[in-house]
Amino acid sequence: MTKPSFNAAADHPGRPPTADRIKEMIRVDHAGEYGAVRIYEGQLAVFRNLPQKKEITESLTRMAAEEEEHLDRFNKLVNERQVRPTALNPLWHIGGFAMGAATALMGEKAAHACTVAVESVIDEHYQRQIDELTALETEEDLKETIIQFREEELAHKQEALESGAEEAPGYPVLSNVIQTICRAAIRASEKA
Amino acid sequence: MTERKKPEAKKDQLESVRSKILEAALPDVPFDGWTGAVLMRAAKTAGVDHGLARLAFPNGARDLAEYFLADGDRRMIDRLAKSDLASMKIREKITFAVRTRLEVDAANREALRRASTSLLIPPASGSAAKSLYNTVDAIWVAIGDTSTDYNFYTKRATLAGVFTTTLACWFADESDGHADTWAFLDRRISDVMQIEKVKAQATKVIDALPDPLGLIARIRYGSTG
Repeated sequence: MTKPSFNAAADHPGRPPTADRIKEMIRVDHAGEYGAVRIYEGQLAVFRNLPQKKEITESLTRMAAEEEEHLDRFNKLVNERQVRPTALNPLWHIGGFAMGAATALMGEKAAHACTVAVESVIDEHYQRQIDELTALETEEDLKETIIQFREEELAHKQEALESGAEEAPGYPVLSNVIQTICRAAIRASEKA
Repeated sequence: MTERKKPEAKKDQLESVRSKILEAALPDVPFDGWTGAVLMRAAKTAGVDHGLARLAFPNGARDLAEYFLADGDRRMIDRLAKSDLASMKIREKITFAVRTRLEVDAANREALRRASTSLLIPPASGSAAKSLYNTVDAIWVAIGDTSTDYNFYTKRATLAGVFTTTLACWFADESDGHADTWAFLDRRISDVMQIEKVKAQATKVIDALPDPLGLIARIRYGSTG
C-alpha cells in the first residue's frame, strides 16, 4: 500500500504539534456536526407542519437524530479534552439553519441536493482526518469514531441521491455553491 | 497510544526548574518587580544553571510572570477540587472560585499586582489577556461548566469582567480580611445574575412569537396536498 499523500506526521515544519492538531480536529468536527444538526432543523422547520410532506419529514427527522448523536459525542470530546469550541458557533447556528430552510423552500429535490453536497464535503473532510490520524499512529479511538461517523454520513448521502437529489433544478450550481460554503466554514473553524 | 517518553521527561525536569526559580524569586518581586535581574538572581539562589534557566524561561521575566499566574491557577484548581462544590448553587460556585483564586495568592498580592501590570506593557502586551483567559477558563472548567456553544464565550467574557474589577478592588483593599473585596464581588455577581434574568425573559418572549418559517412554508407548498 502506498503511504497517504496527506502526511502531517509529528514535527513536520509549519504544522502545529500533534496535541494542538488533534484539538483542531475535534473543534472543527464539533462545529461541523453542529452545523449539520442546524441544516436539518432548518429543513424540518419548513416541512414539519405540512401534511403532504410527511415522508420527507420522517426521513429528515431520522437523519437529524443521527447527527444529534454525532454532536453529543463531540460535545463530550470537547469537554473531556478541554478543547476551546469554535468561536464561529453563531455563524454555524444561523448559517446552517438558513441553508436548510432555503433549500427546503426551493423544493424537496433541492433539500436532498443540499444533503448530498454537504455530506460529500464531510466525507472528504473526514477521510482526510482519517488519513492524517493513520499517519500519526495515535488517537485510535478518535479515528474509529470518525470512521464510523463517515460511514453514517455516506449513508445519508446515498439516501438523498436515491430520493432524486440530482433532479433538482440547477443541481450543479446549487451543489457547487453549497460545497464551497461548507469548505470555507470548515477551514475557518479549525483555527477559530 | 505511542506517547514518546523522552520529551515528557524533559518537560518534567523543566517544570521543577521553573517552580524552584519562582519560589526563589517571589520574595524579591514585591520590591524589584518581574525583571530579568530578579529572574537570574533567583536562578542563582535556587542553584539553577544560567543556561537551564534560559531554557526554562526563554522570554525571561515575562515567562516567569506568566508562569506565576498559571501556577496560581493550578493552586486554585487543587483547592477547588478539595472543596464541596457540588452542594453549591452556580452563583456560589463562581463567587467561591474567584475568591479562592485571590486567596491562594494572599501572601503574593504585590507580586500578583506587578504581574498583571507588567504583562500589560509592551513587549509583553497580549500576555495579560492570555493569562486572564486562562484564569477564567480554569474557573469555569473547575466548577463543571460544559457549554460548547457561544455560551462558552459569553460566560468567559462575563467572568473576565467580574474578575478584573474584583482584582483591582482587592489590590487596593486595606479592609479587615478583605471584607470590602468580597462585598464588591457579591455585588458584581448580582449584576450578572440580573442580566441573566432579563436574558431568560427575552428568550421566553421570542419563543412565544409566531413561527414565520412555517407560514412561508404553507404559502410555498399550500397547506393541503
